[in-house]
Amino acid sequence: MEISLFQAILLGLCACLSSMPGLGGTTFGNYTLGRPLVAGLVVGLILGDIRSGIIIGAAIQVIYIALVTPGGTVSADVRAVSYIGIPLAICAVQSLGLDPSTSQAQSMAAALGAAVGTLGTVLFYGTATMNLIWQHIGWKAVEAGEFKKLYLVDMGLPWISHLICSFIPTVLITMAGADMVDLMKAYMPMDGIAMKTLFTVGSLLPAVGVAILLKQVVKKALDFLTFLFGFTLAACLGLNLIAAAIVGSFFAVINYKVMMSLNRKPAAGAASADDDDEEDI
Amino acid sequence: MKKLSKKTLNKSYLSWFYGNLTCFSQEHMQTFGYLCAMLPVVEELYDKKEDQKKALQTYTAFFNTEPQIGSLVVGMTAGMEEAKANGQPIDGDAINGIRAGLMGPLAGIGDSLIVGTLIPILLGIGLGLSADGSPLGAIFYIVVWNLLMWFGMRFAFDKGYSLGGKAVEILVGEQAQAVRDSILMVGTVVIGAVAASWINITTALPLPGGGMLQATLDGIFPKMLSAATVFFCWWLMTKKNISPTAVMGLLVIIAFAGVLIGFFDPGLSY
Repeated sequence: MEISLFQAILLGLCACLSSMPGLGGTTFGNYTLGRPLVAGLVVGLILGDIRSGIIIGAAIQVIYIALVTPGGTVSADVRAVSYIGIPLAICAVQSLGLDPSTSQAQSMAAALGAAVGTLGTVLFYGTATMNLIWQHIGWKAVEAGEFKKLYLVDMGLPWISHLICSFIPTVLITMAGADMVDLMKAYMPMDGIAMKTLFTVGSLLPAVGVAILLKQVVKKALDFLTFLFGFTLAACLGLNLIAAAIVGSFFAVINYKVMMSLNRKPAAGAASADDDDEEDI
Repeated sequence: MKKLSKKTLNKSYLSWFYGNLTCFSQEHMQTFGYLCAMLPVVEELYDKKEDQKKALQTYTAFFNTEPQIGSLVVGMTAGMEEAKANGQPIDGDAINGIRAGLMGPLAGIGDSLIVGTLIPILLGIGLGLSADGSPLGAIFYIVVWNLLMWFGMRFAFDKGYSLGGKAVEILVGEQAQAVRDSILMVGTVVIGAVAASWINITTALPLPGGGMLQATLDGIFPKMLSAATVFFCWWLMTKKNISPTAVMGLLVIIAFAGVLIGFFDPGLSY
């Protein structure tokens, strides 16, 4: 499968919009276009294969389900994961003759996406470093009282950083991608150790994504029970995610009521005026 | 008595909504987004260029938080700047004190509640809807997430502007704590379901007496290997302080060793 120059340019534009710090803004850029599930749809539209795009995007999404960037440190770059990793994975899956809905194809996509994403952090640091130049221009503008220039600095000039750190790398790598996949096919047989390892890594990686998320919410071992509760709902009872969300909400409401009644106890002993204050909040 | 017009507040909100991170650098993360959001406010409140410059100087200090929940702070400072222009005893240092004091706690709340819980729940549902390759799940996420954030951030901005310091009480305090705790609970349950639906780790190891190890494991607890791998990764990251990238590296080694001894076998050929 070939990616044309025009398709590569569209992918490059999406990369500019979707990264952190992207030009689509945080909410619509990074947290919408940058999410692999959404990118799967977008890449699928660009490459003309929506079904493969969505299935592969979803498989990669699981690894990055909780991509928190505390204090501006990234462990993976979404523009690379989404707009370099997904197109390459679609190429790879198609040239290897896999059906995208098989777990093998999804493992392959996960491994490729994670590898590209980790390498892509270079792009993040590149963009952030180049933006220092524009910020320097901004400080001078504030000093000189040319306040309108601030908009140019914040929303205009970073396009140059993205042209160099997002657009060009995406266009070059995705266009070369089809050839790289052929090389891989020629030198790495599917039943060899290397490919078996690649597929196995791909199946293990989603566990890291989930664990990153759990690190945020599970502080003590007992909290793991809540996670296992949800796990059991899906693994043993076969509930889908919407059903699991509803069951979870039910227990959350109970939890809320218990916590609020625990909160109220000491207040009940105190003056009744305290209760009125709580109502106001 | 100076009062910020609706138009100015809209402009300030839009600048923050779009531009909070567009000119990010490691040195001044959201500072320029903040300056752009405050510029319309400052221009309306002060007539003289010198006063505008002096007011804007306040916001040249470093700022970084979870930008979506951070619109609360932008709204608050718009309100404080208005009070300051009306001669109330607030100075730039007081505004910066509040900004600096809020950005850490708000980043914590926003990262765990919005990025760590809301997004995974929405994505989890989207993944479910898109499991067969249908675009429905992606469209669901795009629509719901953007509507929630557009109105949610506007709500936070307006609350910050109208309530000022009192707005913080919405986010801390006992009731807020109970709400947060309960939302995290839904999030954790959904993540459990996501893990069970999307992680598929199996072994190809045959048992010495015939039969497969995988069948035995499924008899004990379905998808046991998947749950165990999640727990192992969590333990490495939380208890051993190993970075996610290093954990991924370790998994490559484990996969390689597992393939060599026949524990893992994806069973593929051209």
